[in-house]
Amino acid sequence: MSARVITVRRDVQAAARSSAAEFRLRCTERGTLVVNVLSSPGAGKTSLLAATARFWSARENAPRMAVLVGDLATDRDARRLAPWTPVVQMTTGGACHLELPLVERAMAALGDFDGEFLFIENVGNLVCPASHDLGEHLRVLLLSTTEGDDKPAKYPKAFRTSQALVVSKLDLLPYVPFSVQAAAADAHEIQPDLAVLPLSALNGQGIDEWCRYLETTRTSILGQSNAE
Amino acid sequence: MMHEASLVKSLLEQVDRLAAEHAAVAVEEVRVRIGPLSGVEPMLVSLAFERLAPAGANLVVEEVPLTARCRDCCKLFELKQFRFHCSYCESSDVDVIEGDVFMLESITIRRVEPLEAVP
Repeated sequence: MSARVITVRRDVQAAARSSAAEFRLRCTERGTLVVNVLSSPGAGKTSLLAATARFWSARENAPRMAVLVGDLATDRDARRLAPWTPVVQMTTGGACHLELPLVERAMAALGDFDGEFLFIENVGNLVCPASHDLGEHLRVLLLSTTEGDDKPAKYPKAFRTSQALVVSKLDLLPYVPFSVQAAAADAHEIQPDLAVLPLSALNGQGIDEWCRYLETTRTSILGQSNAE
Repeated sequence: MMHEASLVKSLLEQVDRLAAEHAAVAVEEVRVRIGPLSGVEPMLVSLAFERLAPAGANLVVEEVPLTARCRDCCKLFELKQFRFHCSYCESSDVDVIEGDVFMLESITIRRVEPLEAVP
């Protein structure tokens, strides 16, 4: 018997990444932009998505959306969203993040969804979800004004892998020691191209800019890949 | 722990497949590289490996620094404090080239030598 070293030098998540790329391509072909929404618990992911659905439902020819919502144990977020948008609950049974097979199963439960936006509301956690590609085109990170503006450097992977930073709960800004500029500057040290969108889902401030950002981004990402 | 356990499970599936492809009778060592942005904690990876790996397999974790290449001046440098700027020219147009993935570097297997080398 002899020992032999086999050099592999491969990303442990390579297979998961390529499945995610296939899922992304299928969604691109349907014209659906997939948005993975990350934040710590209670930053306002559900409120943002409900506000987005309400904003669009009041408009003619608005984009169609659906939400896949991840939760450890309950269907509370799904029930909050259901009056406004098609929603499928993914209960992770205690797992700290979502993985693609859960998303694909929930997507199947939506039927033949070919709307413009599919939002994946991740489990509230800024650590593990950052490591899992769910086949999204756009990763959005929510940071609420009550969390402190020093968070970006504490969760570098989540910020580095996101394209947009939503600063939520702007209505509380007068009462908390939070600076949107300081948070943005900290985040830009990690991801210089991060778009920063301050808003309040409660009073609606900034929701129009957020929705416009989504529509512009969809056109630039899906328009580009259709042209290729 | 859930997160590291699921990645270690995936790691072990890949190790199994490689071992089978190379007609191994045993896996002696699994060598992985983990950096500051790999998204896994080395100690938790070791604990998950101890629980999930077959007896006799030894895990070696190489901790690597976060390394980037500047797209403007082409120099290689270590990224410190997650400040994504070139340490030579301050450009923010940098590509991370190591330390941001959980990498399976190599495996050491035991195999039965053929009696005669295949020509």
